Amino acid sequence: MAQGPDTGEDDGLEVLHLALSDLRRKIRSRSSTRSEPLGSSEGLVDFDWQSAFDELRRRFGALGMVERSAEVDEFGMDDASLERSRVLLDFLMDRYWRTTVSGLDTVGSGGPNLFVANRSGLLPYDGLMLCHAIERWHPTRDRPRFLVADWLMALPFAQPYLSRLGGVRACRENADRLLRTGHSVIAFPEGMTAATKIFAERYRLKRFGRGGVIRAAVENRVPIVPVGIVGAEEAQPILFKADLPAREIGLPFVPVTPTFPLLGPLGLLPLPTKWIIRVGEAILPDDLDPGALDDELLLSRLTEEVRERIQELVSEALRHRASAWG
Amino acid sequence: MIGPRCVALTGLNTFVGQRLAERLLALPEPPRLVGIDLRQPLDLEGRIAFRPLDLTRATADGELATMLADERVEAVVHLAFRSSPTANLEYDHELETLGSLHVMHACSAAKVGRLVLASSTMLYGPNSTNPNFLHEGRGLGGHADAPGIQNRVEAEELLAHWAPRHPDVQVCVLRHCWVMGPTYSDHVVRYFDRPVVPVVLGYDPLMQFIHEGDLVSVFEKATLESHPGVYNVVGRGVVPLSMLLALAGKRSLPLPGWLLHRMPSVHSQGQAGDLPEGFFDYLRHLWVADGERGWQAFGEPVYTTKEAWISFVSSRRTERFD
Repeated sequence: MAQGPDTGEDDGLEVLHLALSDLRRKIRSRSSTRSEPLGSSEGLVDFDWQSAFDELRRRFGALGMVERSAEVDEFGMDDASLERSRVLLDFLMDRYWRTTVSGLDTVGSGGPNLFVANRSGLLPYDGLMLCHAIERWHPTRDRPRFLVADWLMALPFAQPYLSRLGGVRACRENADRLLRTGHSVIAFPEGMTAATKIFAERYRLKRFGRGGVIRAAVENRVPIVPVGIVGAEEAQPILFKADLPAREIGLPFVPVTPTFPLLGPLGLLPLPTKWIIRVGEAILPDDLDPGALDDELLLSRLTEEVRERIQELVSEALRHRASAWG
Repeated sequence: MIGPRCVALTGLNTFVGQRLAERLLALPEPPRLVGIDLRQPLDLEGRIAFRPLDLTRATADGELATMLADERVEAVVHLAFRSSPTANLEYDHELETLGSLHVMHACSAAKVGRLVLASSTMLYGPNSTNPNFLHEGRGLGGHADAPGIQNRVEAEELLAHWAPRHPDVQVCVLRHCWVMGPTYSDHVVRYFDRPVVPVVLGYDPLMQFIHEGDLVSVFEKATLESHPGVYNVVGRGVVPLSMLLALAGKRSLPLPGWLLHRMPSVHSQGQAGDLPEGFFDYLRHLWVADGERGWQAFGEPVYTTKEAWISFVSSRRTERFD
């Protein structure tokens, strides 16, 4: 580049750009003249593949969370990727599963709540949706965190995505810390047994852990809010469990769904069922007997009470819906 | 409060040993320093009393006890741990586990009032069942595949067994996380100090660092003030590994975990030095420690995790352009 010595770097780049675009134009015009006798259409050649590719990459990159914000909170939740995935979550909630949410307005907004819900399906779509619903419709607009089973948090790819969207490994230490720092928590005390439940057992709630929910609520003095989620069971129905190649890929078993091994990874997509989320009346910390911390029998009775409340919410929603497809 | 009048540093030739000696000498009323190591660091020559000692010798406890009693040492800071893993497992065990035991025995024999032990949050072990923040009371799981880590876990177990029987020695255990900074170097720093960093495919753990300056400050306070107990020494905040690499402009090379585990030669060919077995588990699972107790005792660290990382990265950049 024969420019003066005072030329800045930008000018040099400018010249380079001009030369490049000139070259590109030359190549293009040559290829178009060559293809003209063959009768190909002009429009195809002029199509700017490069910018189209960039556009595609930008859009899908947003979905794939390629870009990150510069800060995450102490549990790894990333506001920027949350903001970008909000479009997808809105679509899933409003269009795909046509979710109806009721009872959220009665939930207290004075402090953190401990939401307790029934769990279904292998992938935690129910946690994501409940999280999203609470953020959208609860008066405080505070995004709760949902607790995710150990094995799911240890799974490659699941761990970074779930924690960026507000998933936290399910254990007492984490729940306590979240409640102490003023975050609402969504717990699925059925845990593993519910996620791996087969289709024939749908909407029958399993045993509720070992009383961790009651302990967390009493110790941190937060209300327990029972939530029934209907529709998630049919979205990812497990027909039966195959355990042959499971250990090799680090799963507890291989779920066989109507679509899963059959359609490959596409089969992991949930079905478009109709979802109903019913939020029940909160159990205030004053109603819970603090003696339950030392009395195992009382503890299990209280736990069972919470389980029954959620079972009621689920059964009632089931009675009122026409079919799984809404 | 009056600090100890004479401080002994076992493992003077380590990073913390040298920096701590400099800091203590710079105090308005510096305590007398006794440096104990195999070799004397050159720039401290003449300014401190140096005593050569090999902690792996069977009679090291007696020799050390005589030294401590002769010099009337009031506080011992035990830093004689390797900063990088070694293939010589037997020597490693002798130094890290039995060396620590010798120091403990010598402290009680010479009636030393205070023992500060350097430890690491790596001893909690990387585990998918770890809570997001590990408390000091958490058991030390270590890492079954990493003998170097297991030796230090054993050293802490010996200490936990020894301390209640010697209540006259006040014990402070400082478990620090990975250290970053302009001058600090160990196998972790060397691992990250390259343009392309291999990571475990599908995992993006939250990482936690402490700045070298903050680390030395904590050791200084633990030496001079009375802080009995176990403390996690970490920076504030956590940052995902992917974000750290993006901040530094480094590329990540995601490799499947089984490949990283089964090909130890990848490490040496990647010029990573001798990475310990199981190192990649620390880039896979959570092992972030809860620093609240440490911050309350030793004050707020100057650098957050992210700032410590940036301080390391920016120092390497200027090095390259020098």
